[in-house]
Amino acid sequence: MLLPLLQASPWALFIGRFHPVLVHLPIGFLLIAALLEIGRRTGKINISETTVVFILFWSAISATFACIAGYLLSLGGGYDEELLSDHMWKGIGVAAFAWIAWLVKSDRTGKVLPFGKMAYLPAFGIAVLLTMSAGHDGGSLTHGEDYLTQYTPEPFRSLAGMGPIEEKAKEIKPIADVQQAVVYQDIVRPILEARCTQCHNASKKKGDLRMDELALLMKGGENGPAFVSGKSAESDMIKRCLLDESDDDHMPPKGKPQLSTDQIALLSWWIDQGAPADKKVSELALNEQVKPALASLGAGAPASGKASGKSPESAIAGMKVPQAKESDIDALRKVGLIVNTLSQDQNLLEVSAVNAPQFGDKEMALLLPLSQQITWLKLGNTKISDNALKDIAKLKNLTKLHLEHTAVTDKGIAELKSLPHLEYLNMMDTKVGDTGLKTIAGIKGLRSVYIWQSAVTDSGVSQTSKQYPGLMVVNGFSEAEVAQFLKAGDSTATKPVAAKK
Amino acid sequence: MEKLLKELQYADLHRQTRRHFLQSAGFGLGALGLGSLLGSCGSSNAGTNAPGNAAAAKIPQFAPKAKRVIYIHMAGAPSQLELFDYKPELVKYHGKDCPAEFLEGKKFAFIQGVPKMLGPQGKFGQYGESGAWMSDYVPYLQTVADEITFMKAMHTDQFNHAPAQLLMHTGSPRLGRPSLGAWSVYGLGSENQNLPGFIVLASGGQQPDAGKSVYGSGFLPSVYQGVQCRTGGDPVLYVSDPSGMNRDMRKQTIEAINEINRQTYEDVKDPEILTRISQYEMAFRMQMSVPEVMDVSKEPQFILDMYGVKPGEGTFAMNCLLARKLVENDVRFVQLFDWGWDGHGTSKDHNVEGGLRQKCRESDQPIAALIKDLKMRGLLEETLVIWGAEFGRTPMQENRNGLVMPFMGRDHHLDAFTMWMAGGGVKRGHSHGQTDELGYYGVKDRVHVHDLQATILHLMGFDHEKFTYPFQGRNFRLTDTEGKVVKQVIA
Repeated sequence: MLLPLLQASPWALFIGRFHPVLVHLPIGFLLIAALLEIGRRTGKINISETTVVFILFWSAISATFACIAGYLLSLGGGYDEELLSDHMWKGIGVAAFAWIAWLVKSDRTGKVLPFGKMAYLPAFGIAVLLTMSAGHDGGSLTHGEDYLTQYTPEPFRSLAGMGPIEEKAKEIKPIADVQQAVVYQDIVRPILEARCTQCHNASKKKGDLRMDELALLMKGGENGPAFVSGKSAESDMIKRCLLDESDDDHMPPKGKPQLSTDQIALLSWWIDQGAPADKKVSELALNEQVKPALASLGAGAPASGKASGKSPESAIAGMKVPQAKESDIDALRKVGLIVNTLSQDQNLLEVSAVNAPQFGDKEMALLLPLSQQITWLKLGNTKISDNALKDIAKLKNLTKLHLEHTAVTDKGIAELKSLPHLEYLNMMDTKVGDTGLKTIAGIKGLRSVYIWQSAVTDSGVSQTSKQYPGLMVVNGFSEAEVAQFLKAGDSTATKPVAAKK
Repeated sequence: MEKLLKELQYADLHRQTRRHFLQSAGFGLGALGLGSLLGSCGSSNAGTNAPGNAAAAKIPQFAPKAKRVIYIHMAGAPSQLELFDYKPELVKYHGKDCPAEFLEGKKFAFIQGVPKMLGPQGKFGQYGESGAWMSDYVPYLQTVADEITFMKAMHTDQFNHAPAQLLMHTGSPRLGRPSLGAWSVYGLGSENQNLPGFIVLASGGQQPDAGKSVYGSGFLPSVYQGVQCRTGGDPVLYVSDPSGMNRDMRKQTIEAINEINRQTYEDVKDPEILTRISQYEMAFRMQMSVPEVMDVSKEPQFILDMYGVKPGEGTFAMNCLLARKLVENDVRFVQLFDWGWDGHGTSKDHNVEGGLRQKCRESDQPIAALIKDLKMRGLLEETLVIWGAEFGRTPMQENRNGLVMPFMGRDHHLDAFTMWMAGGGVKRGHSHGQTDELGYYGVKDRVHVHDLQATILHLMGFDHEKFTYPFQGRNFRLTDTEGKVVKQVIA
């Protein structure tokens, strides 16, 4: 290399980063030159040829500088090589044809060149077409190849044969039987896909590292291999996750979704076990950190049955729905319901009747226009009956439902079994009995059901708990149990697991 | 009415100083420009949940796990070494001189010279499936061990009660910042429109050392400050109608006052006027709702027994029962204060033996009852219960003025103490952090007060770094410039 600039020096990268700025000059210049040329030739405007030639000259100059800056930028690496090469040659083409178009018309050189007149329009036209094509490649390099068309609306989507819109950050699905899961395929890879491969993939190789395949992960990137088999503490990918989030070397970068402690524990454990490609959980030795983490992957409660405390993430985290109509929300507020947006960017709603004790079956229809958005619904202490539950069953994204102190019975509760995401159900002080509990206990994501002062019997609770160990059925105190609780004050009543002075 | 309006006009003219003129003129010009910019954007109330209401919610950054908080503060600071932080090594050191390395460069509130070490006074055991360490000071809490996450290596910066309480509740040891409860209601709004969003209950009505500032609203609009309710008699003083005044008449009065206030607001745009308007409206609604929610006479006897209360008492136990009733009615933040936990060893009541045992007897059963009661009503998983004090106590016995104290006591300690949380999205049956073998320093997973605050806000759906309020030219946040979410305690 002749110049220090041509290596990936700070100077090269500094100038290189001006490429996205410079590149817009030739685009604008060439297009305006083309428009003027068309206008001139169709007689719509009255300008001299020299104006167009003058703009062409500056197009060529700026295209040349954009090419140089672009080349310097590419030295930084991290781009898809094929696409980069296309983009580079098209860019150089723009500059070259812009020069040709200018040369054949310029006062000094125009007359010297033999086929000058004939070459002008083709060269000009090619330069304009190449500008568009190179520009598109450039966008794909920066934002990813599907950036432009990712949100193509219907019906064009189907016409173009594209699949449904994918959510960018993938969420990890619960695993039915953790013991039988293949560690890399079912546990490690989904974590990497959710948190890492957005930047470390085939087209965006940041740091020259790809994390979308095991072999490439082993190969590593410009800082060496991503992990040291058997030694998670020395593995770059683990070390970076554990750095302070504000550290420049921390991964994923500040502001992106971070790995949870459990996810780091799982990755570390997999590396410590030699990073096997096809071993199952049951074939590897477990340690204390990874047990709760593994348990959290399951759909239900921790496999050990011990109170370990880690609950699976709520389905809410992955939900994103269109924004609710303000008029629909106002209609609810008018009948005394409180409507709050649950969190930014998700558009999910929390609806509460705490100030609307008169709320009843008649008003239920008001909730239906918001059937996608309502995810927490509190109808405790209201006048609703079984009829209302038919409508509640239409709120497909419902995760939390309060029906305490209402007149609902088994018949109404049965409607709820079609709610796919229900996690919390409060049926305290209702007429729901064992049948009702049994029908809804089968809802897959259901985690807690409250049945104190309902018609559910103790045997109903124990049967359901046995059949669905992941479900927490919570009963309350009877008077006798309070008496038992009060004995805790006598030092003899509760025995510690292990007592020491 | 006419006379009132005239008077108002007169008062207004008095207020029209040069500063006001400049202010409103400047604002007017700016508003003209802004108005034309926003003209096509519809509502300028973006980011709030219910426009027009001063206590309306902001939208959390992510879905909250804790919708409500019950914060139990034991003012004075109980000894973690008697209750939760089991240190068998300390038994061996009992009565020996404190090692010099603990004293070098340290300042204590009362300890002088070389104090003696003081062994743990409780009988410890492990409880629940999680095997949580607890002493016989808290036999009832043992029964709910598996609902609790302990943080055993808490630390703070302040060793005097008032500044430490301020730091714990407002993020700063100095006056003037909004409290955690105020931030919570500012962020999530007040859910039940007939009750204040932030209610304070103090045992026997006694304030903590730092006074009302620990539940104040600081520079936030005062609508967010904690409302203290009395436990006996009228829960809120002066809220009931005097004899001869009926509800309709009261309503008309309040409407007239609010109309005048609204006009004043139009003129001077002071947000405190909006606070005043909504307080009048709230007070009117509270006349009905507060006596109802604070009335425990309808609670069944076995529930009263569970908490160990009799109707009409103003005890800590009664406040626990009321706290349950308040969160059951969707009050956002309930702050409980108890006092008398300052066990220096100076008297029969203030020590870590009989005195601390007595305080535990008063509070242990109702706290355990509260957790059980919340759980069986399905409230615990949405309600974050926090227990703690402003700091902890030393592993050394206090030797105030170089004397031997009449009772066994410990001095204020800021390097290590225990707090616990339950429900509201924290792990069930978990212990986080560890202290050294004498319980002096946190050696693993230390949690600073700001870390705890960041974690609590996180559980309520807020990123503590983004949850700010502009004041005096900069954005303020509860955790100031510090704090890191303790992810390990989150379920």
